[in-house]
Amino acid sequence: MTEAVRLDAVSKVFGRGQGSVAALREVTVGIPRGTFTAVMGPSGSGKSTFLHCAAGLDVPSSGSVRLGDTALAGMDENALTKLRRERVGFVFQAFNLVSALTVTENITLPLMLAGARVDRAWLDEILHRVGLAGRAGHRPAQLSGGQQQRVALARALVTRPEVVFGDEPTGALDTMTARDVLTLLREVVSALGQTVVMVTHDPVAASYADTVLFLADGRIVDAMTGPSADMVAERMTRLGAWN
Amino acid sequence: MMSFAWKTLRHRKAGFAGAFVALLCAAALVTACGMLLETGLRGSVAPERYAGTPVIVAGDQYARMTKKSGKEKAKILSERRWISASLAEEIGRIPGVTKVVTEVTFPYAGFTAHGWESAALTPFTLAQGRAPSAADEVVVDARHSGRAIPGYRVVGVTAQALPNQDTIFFSTDTARRLAGHAGQVTAIGVFPRVDVAVPGAVTYTGDERGAVEFPDAENARIRLISLGGALGGTSLLVAILVVVGTFALSMQQRRSEIALIRAVGATPRQARHLIGREALLISMIAGLIGSGSGILLGFWLRAVFVDLGAVPDNLRLVLSPFPSIVAALTTLVAAWVAARISVRRATTIRPVEALGETAMPTARLPWVRLVAGLLVTAGAVTLTIVLSSLSTEAASSPVTMLTALLWTTAVALLGPLIARVVTALPLRGPGVAGYLARKNLRAETGRFASLITPLTLVTAMTCTILFMQTTVEHAAQGERNAGVRADYVLGPGTSAGAVREIPGVRAATEVLHTSVRINLGRYSAQAVTPEGLAQTMDLKVMVGSLDGFGNTSAAISRTGGRSPQRRHRRRTAAGARRRHPRHGTGRRDLRPWPRLRRSDPAPPPRRGPR
Ligand SMILES: Nc1ncnc2c1ncn2[C@@H]1O[C@H](COP(=O)(O)OP(=O)(O)O)[C@@H](O)[C@H]1O
Ligand SMILES: [Mg+2]
Repeated sequence: MTEAVRLDAVSKVFGRGQGSVAALREVTVGIPRGTFTAVMGPSGSGKSTFLHCAAGLDVPSSGSVRLGDTALAGMDENALTKLRRERVGFVFQAFNLVSALTVTENITLPLMLAGARVDRAWLDEILHRVGLAGRAGHRPAQLSGGQQQRVALARALVTRPEVVFGDEPTGALDTMTARDVLTLLREVVSALGQTVVMVTHDPVAASYADTVLFLADGRIVDAMTGPSADMVAERMTRLGAWN
Repeated sequence: MMSFAWKTLRHRKAGFAGAFVALLCAAALVTACGMLLETGLRGSVAPERYAGTPVIVAGDQYARMTKKSGKEKAKILSERRWISASLAEEIGRIPGVTKVVTEVTFPYAGFTAHGWESAALTPFTLAQGRAPSAADEVVVDARHSGRAIPGYRVVGVTAQALPNQDTIFFSTDTARRLAGHAGQVTAIGVFPRVDVAVPGAVTYTGDERGAVEFPDAENARIRLISLGGALGGTSLLVAILVVVGTFALSMQQRRSEIALIRAVGATPRQARHLIGREALLISMIAGLIGSGSGILLGFWLRAVFVDLGAVPDNLRLVLSPFPSIVAALTTLVAAWVAARISVRRATTIRPVEALGETAMPTARLPWVRLVAGLLVTAGAVTLTIVLSSLSTEAASSPVTMLTALLWTTAVALLGPLIARVVTALPLRGPGVAGYLARKNLRAETGRFASLITPLTLVTAMTCTILFMQTTVEHAAQGERNAGVRADYVLGPGTSAGAVREIPGVRAATEVLHTSVRINLGRYSAQAVTPEGLAQTMDLKVMVGSLDGFGNTSAAISRTGGRSPQRRHRRRTAAGARRRHPRHGTGRRDLRPWPRLRRSDPAPPPRRGPR
């Protein structure tokens, strides 16, 4: 099976000298295409940093990152930006949408920035899939938190990216709404063959994934396939996340 | 991109309101000032009295000097320069000239007075009565109110009247005597239109004749140029700074949004463009509305200046599309510059900030800004000290502006620091609201700082422009009052001779506030009749004495005496160069009566005893 993302000995150090923090230490991992991967770990373990480095939002201090066949090393900000808008999708925890734009405009924003044509049929399908077919003209302020996250997911999918990254995409939602969004993510992977990497600290969220990677102190310390919420929670307790 | 910018503008109306209002006001002010400036540059006054005469020969109303660089500089004189009456004969001998008309013009009891010799210039004709011939006869114009002219008998009324002057005619001899310029005339009219060139005089045709007829208008024109330029330039600068401030503020409020669009695929260039387009759109709308309403503002400003006496009513506004176009373009450029300056922040936003918790970074003052701020503050302090030692209006006006500008720039640079100091002070408003307000200000000194800058600028600049004039006037008034010992000050048009004959009057001094030019530098001057001067004025003589003060002497004020042109050669308004023995240095800074008109030979009346 080919890998959508590959990290080799990736380290990230913030700051210099005495006050420097090693957020990632020699992380090596491959994310297979068409899988749903969850990244778990205690707060401050380097989950977000991992995601930023894997998605070309941040540049690692050492090591190499490949997206498909493309090595990210040595790319400048413009090249990285173009790579992001064409080949990567994002769902963040909050501040996902531009409040001045409608649902449709938010979804097609990456295409607009790339100057690319909008594939109407694909747009309608995504809108339908995320259950927002009737709300295409609404503004973010008129939507609930769950609906906003679904718009963000639709935007992440609109460019048919190689990977969709999510940084705690359900972190700000209540349990019920979170479950809807997670089901949707699962569906995207199963039905469309989309690769999804999601950072979370919620064992229930992690249980929707095919694989869970455990991060502690900047290192991948464990991995689990076919996780259940209980198993993940138990592993996290051993990592000292909830002392 | 354009539609994205437009949508953002529509959505964030409130956030852009500050920038919009600033740009709108700037556009309106620049338009209005541009109208004044253009009127100053190209405006002219149509001749009234000289309307019927094709060529007017009169004195050169400018003091001229050729600089070392070979450039000729000209400065307008505050008093009319007369020409020799003998030029009339010379002109009469020029081939083609069929008629020559001489004229004297002088203020008399609120009227513009002439000799009957010059009636043909307009021409004035008699509707009733006859021409004045005896020494006590006078002819009034068609719009005469019936007001008596003390000591004279009305023997005729003209069929015409001029729109902006109340004309009276004495007999030619009486007029020449009253005018007090023996052997000299104000102007010589030449018929028909031929080329006339005579030494010692200048030929005026067309609307140029209006400039000779109304020297006030010429002065006002020049005043409008500097006023329009200074006011327009300052308002533009303030607008740029306000817009930079509001844009910077909106950048801070939109950090996460800009980080988001960067994360989902906007290159730094695209993020910059988005902000730039927003600025462009705002300034286009503000520029259009502003430059349109600026025309109304221009008319209003002119009306105010006319009311204040700074601009004569017959100096019409020059209307052209230029001020509006220039205003719209400059606001466009101003907004673009402002956006360029504040957009730097937008592109330094790292897209990772959009992920997870976007912590507002605590604004640290970069050291370059700190050093620049301290340097500008030092400059401002120095200028303030310099300013307090300056005592002439000509020197202090530009320095005042510059000082205000430096102070506001210093505040702009050190804004974040000031914000932190202010919020650290143990001040607080009452109640929960006060508590919250203070906590909020403290937590977000960055935003507070962005607000301080435009507020300071607007306040400082407006105060400077509004109060500079009144402060100077107040000081001048104070000095004049302090120097006056007389019990009464009478208004213009009073006959000093008549006052002296009133029983009990010990002394009466005639006073003329005017100005002289020394090497083109303008010095305010006060002319007085020397008899009994010590009883009416206290000039606080420091050096020398006023004994024997008379026709060939001058006293120099302390500040005048300090000027580089310390030589006692005085180029008087009439152009004569005389050597004056120096008679004393007064302590009073003999400042000009602001906007004193040539026809007002004395300060405005102050009623009641001192
Ligand atoms: N921009 C940054 N500058 C300095 N330190 C950072 C920065 N981002 C993250 N860190 C540090 O790196 C470590 C990992 O952070 P992060 O990846 O955000 O953890 P997580 O998302 O798992 O909570 C933390 O100790 C954090 O303080
Ligand atoms: Mg995180």
